[in-house]
Formats: sequence, structure tokens, C-alpha cells
Amino acid sequence: MSSTGWTVDELMIATLARELTNDTRAFNGAVSFVPVCAYLLARRTHAPELVWGASSIAIDADPAAIPESTLSDALWDGAAMLSNSAYDFWAYAQSRRYNTFAFRGAQMDAYGNVNNTTIGPYESPKVRLPGGGGMADLGCMIPLIYLWSSTHDPRTFVERLDFRSGIGWGDGGDHRARLGLPGGPQLCVTNLCVFDFEPESKRMRLRSVHPGVTVEQVQEATGFEVALPVGGVPETEPPTAEQLRILREEVDPTSARLREFR
Amino acid sequence: MSEVGHASKVRSLDEAAELVPDGATLAIGGLSLNSAPMAFVRALVRRKVRDLTLVAIVAGMPVEWLVAAGCVRTVVSGLVSLEGFGLAPRFRQAVQAGEVVMEEYSEHTLICRLQAAAYNLPYMPTKAGVGTDMIGLHPETTREQVHAATGERYVACTPLPVDVAVVHAAAADARGNARVEPKLVWMDSEIVKAAATTIVTVERIVPTASFTAAPHLTTYPRFVVDAVVEAPWGAYPTSCFPFYGYDGDFLREYAAAHREPASAEEFWRRRVAEPETHADFLDANGGARALLAIRRKTS
Repeated sequence: MSSTGWTVDELMIATLARELTNDTRAFNGAVSFVPVCAYLLARRTHAPELVWGASSIAIDADPAAIPESTLSDALWDGAAMLSNSAYDFWAYAQSRRYNTFAFRGAQMDAYGNVNNTTIGPYESPKVRLPGGGGMADLGCMIPLIYLWSSTHDPRTFVERLDFRSGIGWGDGGDHRARLGLPGGPQLCVTNLCVFDFEPESKRMRLRSVHPGVTVEQVQEATGFEVALPVGGVPETEPPTAEQLRILREEVDPTSARLREFR
Repeated sequence: MSEVGHASKVRSLDEAAELVPDGATLAIGGLSLNSAPMAFVRALVRRKVRDLTLVAIVAGMPVEWLVAAGCVRTVVSGLVSLEGFGLAPRFRQAVQAGEVVMEEYSEHTLICRLQAAAYNLPYMPTKAGVGTDMIGLHPETTREQVHAATGERYVACTPLPVDVAVVHAAAADARGNARVEPKLVWMDSEIVKAAATTIVTVERIVPTASFTAAPHLTTYPRFVVDAVVEAPWGAYPTSCFPFYGYDGDFLREYAAAHREPASAEEFWRRRVAEPETHADFLDANGGARALLAIRRKTS
């Protein structure tokens, strides 16, 4: 815990939660503790109408705690519907009835494209990662994409991905629109800062630095050139006392989120 | 209706494992740590089947065990991990060593390939994967196209025929009617519909009257099910909702043991490969005490 009474996981979750609204219709994939906490936190604070399909399966779930797997049935308690089939989910995703998804990769580039497939060449990988899963699909289908990373370093934030598992803004500019894909990445929340995307180039741009972090530190930890906003970089707004209480006591009492911060 | 005169499809785990020949394309059900047919997977491990092409859409432990036992040549999958318990160590090691080929597909293109096989169509379209490197990995089976009339870009996914599908369910009768209860089928339905042969392992075998009394709850009809195996706790150490959860202790200890080759081998032999029967396997992993700890309260 910092001297200000919150930790960086809490700051990231509170930041992501603030982006969500009563029109958010979200779901989650594997190992997605930060967005799951953010969905639950937003729903318990300013966005009570927010839709969350736990594990893409359990609509309006309200678990007492978050288990070790964010695809686990232990996340589904209190749901109003358990989705039966692939059709129950993919139809709503491809038709944009679901509109919000968060993913991350072992590598991410300036356009918010992600790699979760291999480090090194696909055919002879140095590290075989778990695989892209649904991110290659959902990056194409979902208009509001959020990225997060608890390991902001030059190995994660790279100029060039070894493999593009999931598309963010593609090659930048109007590339997504040319491919016929909706929306795109809105924000990338890391353990050091918050990026948005420069409207023309669609490259990551520093929106704020977390308290105690400098712009230089962010640039050093990033393998591509970080775009800066006009008029200086503000500090990320810290979590409120209410956000902290709800996150710690109601959303994630067993601190499952710390699995992403080891 | 009388129950006489119908052929029984009830088989033991070992008998059902005989339905998977060397070199087969085997699709395994379950979703990550949920409802994987692990008792059947272990029967294959013990039978030492070889050269499988494994289709497992979002998976972890089934791929781990079959790779560890040397049963697998190719893995066709969207995601192989142990989730919050870490990367899948055996799978990762085998692919990095070039012993096993990973044919990665995005989740939805893989579902679409199975649906194309299920519907007996030349391809199933999706917008998934456009603009990623995933499509270029296998241009023969996931072809990016532009629709002539609308100009929309899409991916045409060719059929992925499956020789044998194996899924875990709550109950079946001896004739092969089977149900997942509650009806959480997910992608298991796709692999069953794409498969020439289907094996269903179940928590319990029940009379046909149990199906005719509640036909709206039936998941798979008898004419697509070739073998039924009674395997209580058959998804262990994965979960079988709503009866039991995954065994977090097993998964933690599995991940910890795989930090060193010696402890990995020891864990593998003692707790997975060597126990002879399903009961021996459950005993080797804590027996009744472990099972009672993961039993879900269904109040």
C-alpha cells in the first residue's frame, strides 16, 4: 500500500471502472481479474444498469468472491441467465449487442494490437504462450475495447509484435474502418499510466501518469515512442474512498486480482 | 414403452477408449477448467494411444495430460492454459521442443470450422480474425474473402471433420440419450455435431423414463451417441457444474510440481499416470476428503 492508502491494482481497476456506463454491455475471458473487478465496481457505484456476462456465460452474475479462474462456474452465482451454447454468446458479440471487451497480451504495440501466441517465430517459438483464444475474434467484433497491463516494461510494450493475435487499431489511421471493423481500442490502463489513442494516427498517447510516476519513466518502460498530449500530462485520479471500500469488501474480498500483480 | 430389446451402449472407460485409434482426430469437450472428460482422458493416457490430432477449443488439463503421455502429434486449439494457475507447462515445453505442433485458431474460426462440418457445408463465414496474423497461419482452412454483393470482408472457415468427440455430462440412459444439467453445452455441441463417433461420460446412468419424463432437458439424442460411460467425478480435477468445482489444490500442486523436471515426473507418475482405475486415481489425489471439499452446495 502506498502512503496515500491505495495500491496500483486498485488504481487501475478504479480507472477502468470510471470509463464504464449504464450502456456498457460487457463480458470477460480467461485470466481477466482487472476488468472483472472493474465491471463489478462500476455496477455497484455509478453504472447499476451495466451488463456483465461472467465468463461470457452468466448474465448479471453477482459472485460473493472471485475465484482463481475468470472462466470458472464459481464466478456465476446470482446470475439471471446461464448461456447455453456458443450461439447464445457469439450472436450477441457479432451483432454488437455486447459492446465492451477488455483484453491484454504478452506483447502490445502502439496501436493496441496484442500478441498472446508466441514470443519468437510461430513455427519455432522461444516461448509458446497460451494462445489468442477469443481475442482475434472479439477485436474484430466489439466496438469498445479496453486494454490493460500489470507489467508495463519494454518487453510488453513493443514497437513490433512477434505475432498479431488480436487486432486493436491495426496499422493505425483508418485501417479498422477500411477492414469494416467497428470502433476500436479506447484506453490502455497499465501499472504506470493511462494511454488513450491519438485520434488521427491511432497510436497510444499518454493520458495520465499514476501518482509518483514521471513521463520519462513511462517512456523508458515503453518500447515505442509515446505520444504526448498538448498542454502537459496530468496525474491519474486516485480511487475514491467509496471505490476502495466496495472493491475490497464487496467485489474482491479475497484479493484474487493480485494474481495479475505477481 | 418397454425397455426390452434395446442394445446397450454402456461401456467401461477402457472399452470406450478403444474407440479412439492411433492417428485419430479427437475432439475433447469442456471449457477451460469446466467439465472436461478427464476420466476418459486418463484412460487414453493409460492405453498409450499415439499420434492424435487433438481438437480442444479453450482447454488446459486434457491437452496437458495427453501431451505429457506422448499421445499427441498436433493440437488444434484457441487457448491452452491453466488460467489463474499459470501456463500449461507440458504443452508449452512440448511445443517449444518441436515435439508437438500447435495449430492455433481463434476461438470463433475454430467453432465455425466445426459448424461447417456439422452442417455439411463447404464453409461457415465469420468476421472473426480479420486483420490479424491468425488467418494467414492456415489460408487453406480460413480464407479471407470479400462478399461480392455487399463488399463485406469475412473469413470462410472450411469443415473440420472430427473422428471421435468425447464430452462429459450429468446423465445418460443405456440407449445413449444424454443430458447436461443445467443445459450448459457451450462448444461441446459443436464437437458432437461435427464428429463421426461420440462418447459421453456421465456422472450417472439413469433409466430412459428419466428422459421421456423431461424430454426438453435432453441435450444429445441417442442416434448421435455411440458409447456411454458411467464415470462419477469424471471431470475431476476440472469442475462439473453444478455438482462440484475444480480442485484448486490439485491445480496448485500440479503447477508447483512443474517448476522442476524431477518433481513434475514424480507428480505425473504418482498422481496421474500410474493409478490403475478411476477410483485409484481419485484416491491418489486425496480421495473422499478432496471430493467432499469441492462438492458444490446446490441449495
